[in-house]
Amino acid sequence: MSEHPVQLVVEDDLKRNRLTVCFRLILALPHFIWIALWSVAVFFVAIANWVVTLAAGRPAGSLHRFLSAYVRYVAHLSAYIWIVANPYPGFVGEEGEYPIDIRLPPPEAQNRAKTLVRILLALPALVLAATLGSPGSFASSRGSRRQSFGYSASGLGAAVGVLGWFASLARGRMPKGLRDAGAFGVGYNAQALAYLLLLTDRYPNADPTAMLEGVERPPLHPVHLVGDAHDLRRSRVTVFFRILLALPHIVWLALWSIAAIVVAILNWFATLFAGTPPRSFHQFLSRYIRYGLHVSAFIYLAANPFPGFTGEAGTYPLDLVLPERARQNRWKTGFRLFLVIPAAIVNSALGSALIAAAFFTWFVALVRGSAPWGLRNLSAYALRYSAQLNAYFLLLTEAYPHASPLEGEAPEVHAFDEAA
Amino acid sequence: MTPRQAARIALVAALAAVWAVSAYLLWQSKVPSSLHLPHLDPHAYFTSAQLHATARFSRVDDLFFWATTLAQIAALAVFAVWGVRWTRESAAGPLGTGMLLGMLGFALVWLVELPFGVLELWWQRRHHLSNVGYATYLFGNWFALGGEFVFLCFALAVVMGLARRLAERWWIAAAPAFVGLALLFAFIGPYLTPTHRLQDPSLRAVATQLEAKEHVGHVPIDVQTVHDVTSLPNAEAMGVGPSRRVVLWDTLVDGRFSRPELEIVIAHELGHLARNHIWKAVGWYALFAFPGTFLIARLTRRRGGMGEAAAVPLSLLLLVVLGLLALPLENAISRHREAEADWLALQTTRNPAAATALFRRFVPTTLDEPSPSTIDYLLLENHPTIMQRIAMAQAWRRYATR
Repeated sequence: MSEHPVQLVVEDDLKRNRLTVCFRLILALPHFIWIALWSVAVFFVAIANWVVTLAAGRPAGSLHRFLSAYVRYVAHLSAYIWIVANPYPGFVGEEGEYPIDIRLPPPEAQNRAKTLVRILLALPALVLAATLGSPGSFASSRGSRRQSFGYSASGLGAAVGVLGWFASLARGRMPKGLRDAGAFGVGYNAQALAYLLLLTDRYPNADPTAMLEGVERPPLHPVHLVGDAHDLRRSRVTVFFRILLALPHIVWLALWSIAAIVVAILNWFATLFAGTPPRSFHQFLSRYIRYGLHVSAFIYLAANPFPGFTGEAGTYPLDLVLPERARQNRWKTGFRLFLVIPAAIVNSALGSALIAAAFFTWFVALVRGSAPWGLRNLSAYALRYSAQLNAYFLLLTEAYPHASPLEGEAPEVHAFDEAA
Repeated sequence: MTPRQAARIALVAALAAVWAVSAYLLWQSKVPSSLHLPHLDPHAYFTSAQLHATARFSRVDDLFFWATTLAQIAALAVFAVWGVRWTRESAAGPLGTGMLLGMLGFALVWLVELPFGVLELWWQRRHHLSNVGYATYLFGNWFALGGEFVFLCFALAVVMGLARRLAERWWIAAAPAFVGLALLFAFIGPYLTPTHRLQDPSLRAVATQLEAKEHVGHVPIDVQTVHDVTSLPNAEAMGVGPSRRVVLWDTLVDGRFSRPELEIVIAHELGHLARNHIWKAVGWYALFAFPGTFLIARLTRRRGGMGEAAAVPLSLLLLVVLGLLALPLENAISRHREAEADWLALQTTRNPAAATALFRRFVPTTLDEPSPSTIDYLLLENHPTIMQRIAMAQAWRRYATR
């Protein structure tokens, strides 16, 4: 498939200024006022652009430029609020001026039928964009005694923003995983908005790998996905009855979870005492996590076949590689319950995106008999993160879950290393 | 004849004898064998309008039954031939694949039955027998299908697990397992049914007297709220041992039935418990489970036996067809038990007039035909017909005054 015309450009170096991070929301106040005013204007311009595009078959150049600047500005502002970028953004959405930028296409001919019903066609993408995070909004509400005023945001972007705020304050640097996740959210939001505003008639692409194509991949996490990523065929009958067909697995997983909780507690004590998880516990919990991934992949339509009940490796098209047991830091083991909280927040945010992706995949798969590549990869990303979180929580690894949507890259082996 | 063949024939004969003796013992009833039910003319008890209304209702209702049954068999027959294709949708090994095929078979049956179910609901709503909304019906059915899936998977796991271990002899272990399950469900059924205690103190006092007369010990009398779903009156005896109880639908105690009529109902249900009918039902189930599972084991051999997922679609078809073939016999056994409970109710209350009034009232409230056709009687009636029940009340009067 050809490159999406709305491109995300990431030139961020991960460095953050602690002072601007600390006061980020307050510093962004002028932008909130400005974006509110700009949005009102965009509402009317978008209607005019819709009429022009319907009549002429392509957007008017001036309207296209105005709306493009708005899309870029929203992306810059989102990146700033979510700590995905460091510098204070400009107010005009100029291209090439910000480390997280959006490259938009020139005005081009568009299909009139798609233009006519664009708002309906854009709905799924907008819902998905909402789960990946919108810039957020300030709102006032009147209670019984006093008026309150607050900022609200949701989705992956909000989770990245909150966690990134603490991390950047502490280290003066944004963790790469969180930055990549936030950048993906910014990019998808921009594609959805560009589609809605008729800047392109290419549907937003939910594939995180394609979105972050130019971004450096993180090192390979010991917990990662393997299998046939290109297995997009979906059986319409099993898709239609998917939740019901998964019921035996849900019951079995619930029963297995009871045992897993007991084993996890014993494993925690054993690892704290011995420094290494006992082999039997490690194997049991590995199978449990792998089985959980198989079942989730089936339920959320990230894979097609009905999974087995044993969590055996190599039996499912979306499979999980888990590390061998290894010595673990006792401090990290002791405080694992608290250390896992940030990852759990990210996982929860990704969970919403996963549900939305599965919901839309269900309809598409019923009609086409195959899953959309982008949604499949988004689901795989959410499932991979969830598996990394579970493996970390259950002491199968002490590698912290990596929030980057990009699958890790195995370190390059040089010729002399091999010879050695 | 080789000694091996002779031994096999002797074994089959012995098993058949055990089956026959068990059936004879389970068939025993308190209804006197000499009792002769008089032939009664329905026109003497019901108006022509009532008889016409019930006949009209039943004609269409029967149509739904036949359409549903035929659609079900057709869907399963197609699935038995083509269902194996869905094995490629599984990565779950033979057992899990068998479960998937089983669930898909049920799902297809559900889909083809759905239009008839909706039409039947429309028919019942038209006659004010059902208050279920169409959306509730569809979604409620969806959830019920989920429950069926879980149970089906469990059953298939048992059958296929045993078949993989014991090959063709799996049925010898599976039949007792299913009988155990039936007993478990008989025991826990009352705990899964949402009910509340009967509030009416005078009716409770009557129930206590009836318990003493029928020597059943204390049995709680509960009420189940169903008026938002149906207007049909009903009651049932449930549970075994400590879970025994009589459950009256609230449509029965809503004022449409007189006190003596309700006494007949409670005495009838206590009669079931007094004669251990639930245990006997499990006993009959066991008598059918052994030959039934044996037949399935034999007939699925060409598909590799029940240890193979490929045999599951065929086994579903066999299960339904065998169930349909056994239906007349099952109904006959059920009618026999119900007749005994009717007899005990008459013996306990000694009020045939109230029994007659109750059975007469069932016709306008349930639109049951007082005297259905033979085919309906064989396939659909698991209780004696209304005319048979009225005839028993008349026969009891003569029997008691003899």
